[in-house]
Amino acid sequence: MKKILVANRGEIALRIMRTIRRMGIRSVAVYSEVDRQSPHVLFADEAVCLGPAPSSQSYLNGDKIIAICRELGVDGIHPGYGFLSENADFARKVEDAGIAFIGPGPEAMRIMGSKLAAKECVKGYNIPMVPGIDEAIEDVGVAKEIAQKVGYPVLIKASAGGGGKGMRIVEKESDLEEQMQRAISEARSAFGDGSVFIEKYVNSPRHVEIQVLADKFGNTVHLFERECSIQRRHQKVVEESPSSVLTPEIRKKMGEAAVMVAKSCNYTSTGTVEFLMDDKLNFYFLEMNTRLQVEHPVTEMITGIDLVEEQIRIARGEKLGFTQEDLKINGHAIELRVYAEDPLNKFLPSIGTLTTYVKPEGEGIRVDDGYEEGMTIPIYYDPMIAKLAVHGKDRTEAIQKLKQAIQDYKIEGVATTLPFGTFVLEHEAFISGHFDTHFVGKYYTPDMIREKQKANAYLAALAAVKYWEHESMQLKPVENKTTSWKRRLAH
Amino acid sequence: MGSPEKNLAVKVGDFEFNLTPEEIAQADIIRKSDSAFHLIKDNRSVKIELLEADTTGKKLKLEVDGEAFITEIRDELDQMLDKLGFSAVSTRQVKEIKAPMPGLVLDIHVDVGQEVVEGDKILILEAMKMENSIMIHTNAKIKAVHIRKGQAVEKGQVLVELE
Repeated sequence: MKKILVANRGEIALRIMRTIRRMGIRSVAVYSEVDRQSPHVLFADEAVCLGPAPSSQSYLNGDKIIAICRELGVDGIHPGYGFLSENADFARKVEDAGIAFIGPGPEAMRIMGSKLAAKECVKGYNIPMVPGIDEAIEDVGVAKEIAQKVGYPVLIKASAGGGGKGMRIVEKESDLEEQMQRAISEARSAFGDGSVFIEKYVNSPRHVEIQVLADKFGNTVHLFERECSIQRRHQKVVEESPSSVLTPEIRKKMGEAAVMVAKSCNYTSTGTVEFLMDDKLNFYFLEMNTRLQVEHPVTEMITGIDLVEEQIRIARGEKLGFTQEDLKINGHAIELRVYAEDPLNKFLPSIGTLTTYVKPEGEGIRVDDGYEEGMTIPIYYDPMIAKLAVHGKDRTEAIQKLKQAIQDYKIEGVATTLPFGTFVLEHEAFISGHFDTHFVGKYYTPDMIREKQKANAYLAALAAVKYWEHESMQLKPVENKTTSWKRRLAH
Repeated sequence: MGSPEKNLAVKVGDFEFNLTPEEIAQADIIRKSDSAFHLIKDNRSVKIELLEADTTGKKLKLEVDGEAFITEIRDELDQMLDKLGFSAVSTRQVKEIKAPMPGLVLDIHVDVGQEVVEGDKILILEAMKMENSIMIHTNAKIKAVHIRKGQAVEKGQVLVELE
């Protein structure tokens, strides 16, 4: 492979291109009109504008992307995550055009892309499943019957879903109709497929997933787990590896189950098998994500393996260079997703210009981002600014390191999930390791961040008065009136 | 001029503190350099950094615990102006529904002249691929609808006016 096009934007496009360059391969960026000054565009060896800002006219325009590949002599397409990454039709078209799709084969994507087909596929492999009904429904009356049978609360899920989109918890029958319509409509607009199904909602669940890696010669390994239970709106915010609750025995069992799921659909490339785990450490197969995951850095940090490099090697037809026995967990890694969202206002997107943007630096600190100071966060795409990941020799060290990195990460102009990250890392439940996916609902209120801000604001007020007293006592002549606010105190 | 004899109001972001002379005098705070302070409060040891200051010394940008704050000391005149400003604002009633975030209007459920009651759905706004129902929190009559289906709106943009 001499040239790879990255069909994505922002931080993940940049992260993929860094590996591409390290491997001595040329990179091609694609971008929408609002992303012209995005770092991924500036970093790439070649860049092509796809069209206007809305994804449907830019990053989702698969035919145009394939045409660009033909024109520029591209050998491989890396789809990143989101956008076209789990679109089996696109993957097939790419392969039909004689270009390598850097990801799993279209058939495995098709099966695992449909939660219903996935359940069907793994049926014969003795993998534990969540109680529920495994067929698509559109009729509200039928839905009510099923919900009654499995018992409320139930979870409505989009068959084609992911990332919490098209997913709704329904507590009581009177909410079912409205929630189902929303889920169907959301699923239709996000995935082009409105079919939904209903599952029993598991209480106190932890979300634990296993990273798998498979070459085209039947070698499949797992790269241990990621604990992703800290979520808001069903989307992960804090992820870590290893999980603080898994025993070596359960880790082995889950790893083997994940490898089995991958094998059931002849999976190749990187993939993630998601499990729900109850408070007795029973685990149930949830779904398989047929792509690189946002939280992949924690796995890279504890295994020392560059997952994007492995994807490219597998796509080139190389065998895995290691076996399951070669893989070891080294230390502990935690990632915080830094979203442009206001944790004080229901995590609603907070859009604006990054008036201050300074990244933390240091050993064991990794920032995958796609922004620079002065850039504006567009409304058209996911509001993630960066992934902030740290690696320590154990969990305690990793927690401390991440707390410090959050303090050193200076972002002004938009609200972010950084203060929420501090809240999580300081919370007793997180520190002890005894938490589940209800962490946010159970423990978090905006007041807690507000109270802490207020305490710090009070100290700032005291310092301000001290400074003012001191300055006015000196009776200094006013230096330069025209630049009053800009006077930096560098002396 | 020394320590103030009256309470001093300090605005910090959207917080406001009314510091008493005793409070100020008792604060255990040292200035280590032009831009660095150290403070001990309830046994908590805190570094405070001065990032920017205006020429009057009343308006500062300070960093506490990694978080930046804009502080503004309000003397008596400033406070009087504030009070006038606040009282003018507080008598206004909710007359419009604004977009809580930027997004795309997917559906509008109301028409001009329609009576709506608390909890009614006004419209559906899609932001970052999530659909959000915008509800009304009062009983009112719709005076004007300023948006149409498929329109992109900015945060704070007036969507619907109420009578």
